[in-house]
Parts: sequence; C-alpha cells; structure tokens
Amino acid sequence: MVSLSDTAPVASRRPRRPAFRRFTISNVLIAILLLVCVIWLVVPFGMAVLWSLLDPSVRWEYPDVLPPALSFARWIEVWNTTSLPMALRNSYILAPTVAVTTLILASPTAYAFARYDFPGKGAAQVLTLLPLVIPGFVLAIFFSALIFSLGIYSRFLSILLAHSVLFLPYAIRLMTVAFSNVRLDLVDAARDLGASPWARFRVAYWPALAPGILASLIIVFIQSIEEFAVAFVVGAPNFTTIPSILYSYLGYNFVRPNAAVVSLVLVIPNVLLMLGLERLLKSANPAQTGVKG
Amino acid sequence: MTLRRTLTIAALLTPGLGLILVMVGSVFYIAVAQSFGYYNLSGDSAFSLDHWRDVLGSKQFGRSLGYSAYIAIISALGSIAIAYPLAIWMRKPFRGSLVVGSLLKAPLFVPGLVAAFLFLNVVAYHGVLNQFLMWTGLTDAPIRFQNDRNGFGVIFLQLWKNMPLALLLLTGAVQGISDEVVDAARDLGAGPLARFRKVIAPLTVQAMQAALIIIFIGAAGDFAFQVTAGPTNVQSMAQYMVFLKTSFGRWNQAAVVGVSLMGLALVGALGLAGLARLTLRGLKW
Repeated sequence: MVSLSDTAPVASRRPRRPAFRRFTISNVLIAILLLVCVIWLVVPFGMAVLWSLLDPSVRWEYPDVLPPALSFARWIEVWNTTSLPMALRNSYILAPTVAVTTLILASPTAYAFARYDFPGKGAAQVLTLLPLVIPGFVLAIFFSALIFSLGIYSRFLSILLAHSVLFLPYAIRLMTVAFSNVRLDLVDAARDLGASPWARFRVAYWPALAPGILASLIIVFIQSIEEFAVAFVVGAPNFTTIPSILYSYLGYNFVRPNAAVVSLVLVIPNVLLMLGLERLLKSANPAQTGVKG
Repeated sequence: MTLRRTLTIAALLTPGLGLILVMVGSVFYIAVAQSFGYYNLSGDSAFSLDHWRDVLGSKQFGRSLGYSAYIAIISALGSIAIAYPLAIWMRKPFRGSLVVGSLLKAPLFVPGLVAAFLFLNVVAYHGVLNQFLMWTGLTDAPIRFQNDRNGFGVIFLQLWKNMPLALLLLTGAVQGISDEVVDAARDLGAGPLARFRKVIAPLTVQAMQAALIIIFIGAAGDFAFQVTAGPTNVQSMAQYMVFLKTSFGRWNQAAVVGVSLMGLALVGALGLAGLARLTLRGLKW
C-alpha cells in the first residue's frame, strides 16, 4: 500500500504530527482561558451596551434574551434631563488640572531621587507611597475635616489639592525613571558645544523625559476621572463628577439603563487612554532611551 | 554633605514628598485627635475615651470589623491563588500569550463602580446568569445572587478587580527567574509542585507580599462594592464610617472607626505579608 507521504515532494517529506496532537495542553488552556475572558469581559460589557440602548418605550424582562427594541433615546434622555453634562464638564476640567499640577509638584522630588544620593533616600522613597496605603474613604473624610477647618470652601480647589496628593506617588515614580534615563554625557556634550540651557533641555533632556511626562499626565488624568471617595465626600452634592453621578444611579434610585449610559461614558475614554499609555510605556523602554550617564 | 547640597535636596523634596507628609500627616492627626475628643469642628474639644468606648462596645462595630477583615483576607489570598498559576503559565511567551495577558489584565482599567454595575447586570434576578442556569435546567427558578448574605458577590468583584494587579506583579517576578535555576531544579528531580514551593515561590515572595499588602488594604477599605453588591445586614468599615459621619454627623465616632480601619489595614497587610515570608522560609528549609 502506498501512503500519501511516499508520493509527496521531497521538500514536504518532514514527518508531521497528526492533527489531533497539535492540540497541546497549552492550546486547550488558551482556548479555555479565551472563553473565560469572553465571559469575563464581553458578556458584562455587552450587557451594559444593550441596557444603554434599550428603548424607553419597552421593557426587557425574562424570558427575553435580547432587548425587544433598541434606540439612542436613553442616551439623549440622560444627556438632556440629568446633570451628566455638568459632571462631564467638572471631571474633564478637574482631571487635566490635577494631571498638570501633580506633574509640576512631582518633578523636583523625582529629580532629587534620580540625580542625588543622600542619607535616608530609601526611606523617603517609601514615604512617597503613603497616600496609597491609607484607605481612600478615611483620607477623604478627614481631609474634608481639614479643609473645613482651614476655611477652604471651593470644592474644585479642595478636590484638586486632594487628588494631587493622592496621585503624587504615580507621578513621582514615573518621573524618577524618566530623570534616571537622561544621559549626563549628552548634557555635558551639549554644554561643551556651547548649547544654551534651552537647547540642552531640548536635545538632552526632552527625548528622555517626554515618555515619562506623557505617561504621568495620562495615568493621573485617568485616576482623577475615576476617583470616587474624595469626589463624593468633598464634592457632593454641589460639585458632581462622573463617578458621583454613577453612584447616584447605583444606590437607592437604581436606574439600570441610565447607569449603563454613565458607565460607558466613564469607561470608554479611559480604555482608549490606557491603550495610548501602554504604547507610551513601551516606548519609554530604558534600553532605547539610555541609562543614567 | 555640604549645607548647600542639603538645602538643595530639601528644596527639591518639599513640593512632592513634603506635601505628601503634611497632608497625610494632617489627615492622620485629625482622625486620631477626633477619636479622642480633640479637634472638634463644633463645640468644645477635650480629651475623652467615651467615643472609643461607645464604638468598641457596639455590636455593629464588631460585625463591621470582622466582615471587612473577612473580605480583605479572602480577596488578597484568592487573588494570589488565581494569579500564581497564570503567571507561571505565562512565564515564557507563547502564541496568543499577549492577547491572553491583555484580556486578563483588562479589569485593572475598569473603575470600581463600573465593575460593580457590570456585575449587577450579570447576576440580576432576571440577568443573564439566571437565564443561563434556567436554560440549562440547573435551576427551576431564578436565584437571588445580588446582595447575598455571605458577601460572595463582593469577594467576586474584589477578585475580578484585584487578580489582574496580582498577576501584573507576579508575572514580572516570575519572568525574572532565570531558566538555569528552574532547569537545575528540574534536573535534580523536582516536580512542578516542588519547583513552585522550593524555587519559584521563595524567589517571588517580595512581589507576592506587595500584592497581598495592596489588595488587602484596598479590600479592607472598600465602600463602592459593598454598597452596590454587598450584604444589607452588615456594613463594611468604610461604609460604617461614612454612615456615622453623614447620617448623624458623629465625627468623633467616625474617627474611631477610621483609626480602627487604618489599624486593620496596617496589621492585616503586614500580618499577611509576614505570614507569606514565614511560610515560604519554612518550606525552603
């Protein structure tokens, strides 16, 4: 009996594993995990999208697997009848301000950590993590007592101050790495060639600092948009942010379609920004930007 | 170090580290002071242990403390238990590992309140989970998953949100172990379990401790998951503190709960991290 392999061209005569053996344990695990991930992410987000598009004129109840009618009416209704536009405006004015303020506050400390050796440097670096280890609501409640006793009545300024402190650890860490990546030999070479301070900054500092600055701005922006404890305790009810609005729909007045709309408004820009951040962090590879010179 | 250099470093540290120390220190001071009757926003301030006596004597405080500790311990240990096998599996890149890793870490980017809403949709009385269970015939009628009395919904949410963080930290640590070390253990006859116990776990204990600490503190201080998906017969510490402050304006009693919550976070996180190190050292010996 002549097998197929006997008649095949020489180039393709390499012994091939039977098809079923190609299904290794790893492949099976990947398939299971991808299935779990679909259930893990696609189903919950799919449900949120469907609820946000549920037409107000119909009800989605058992045994309907899908909504009977879809429309953008809920989106329009939420936009026109709730304080979502105000919350969006507040959040998107607050977050960039927090991001820039935090970057300005973090940079000198990060520069000191990257460029100087001094006694207690390790302890100082650990202490910068303090805002991350205090439970959020403890910080929010007693921060509100602090600003009350200091006589600061502007909600915007109060939240700006609290968010800046809360997210300083991220900015300090990212900027420390960025300052460590500045090559001192490039700075010296530029100086030797007579470059002005601005030219030295543009040539030697900026290429190494840019990814860290952008990463810091994005991560603090996202954290500020998402932050709930301070925004709720200090800001409510006069200064609403997107998470505060979402909380109001998840509490006693649980309005599922409205909550779906606000959830998507909150999460979609953040996911897009996170994807951008991932690219930035990859581009900030120390191997590409050089190391401390 | 010269005076000029010292002053330069101090000036550089002031806007970042200085602001953190002043702000966090002030918050901590106010919480502790208010719990002992000082720093009252209205009325006289005087030393008193009454607030501690009142709060510690209430049944609700004990239940809240126990509940928050229970949620935090299960969430921290559960996240590590799920993340470790995945981190070891993804130690070496394989076809599709990038996609799998990204999908697993995606919940990190989802805000807590949105996560809670997504969960409520899935487990709702007429939600997709109940529809699936009835479609398969596993149940005849919908089951009430939302606000379950044991806090399983909150634990699930904590695992959903925090497991990716543990995975992120552990993947980096596991990938840092050189092949020579793992191969040597294999050549000496160590099986997968022995390799984990005697090589991988001891070498990644710092990442494990960091994950345990971060997750424990976050879960112990949880508010959002508890108020949306948690049991209605018990409050978490954060929820109890907010309740005391907003419903009755009892700042001093809220301060007692706040200080206790910080104590729980500190003791629990360091306890878990210490236990992990002790256990692994024991296993190593």
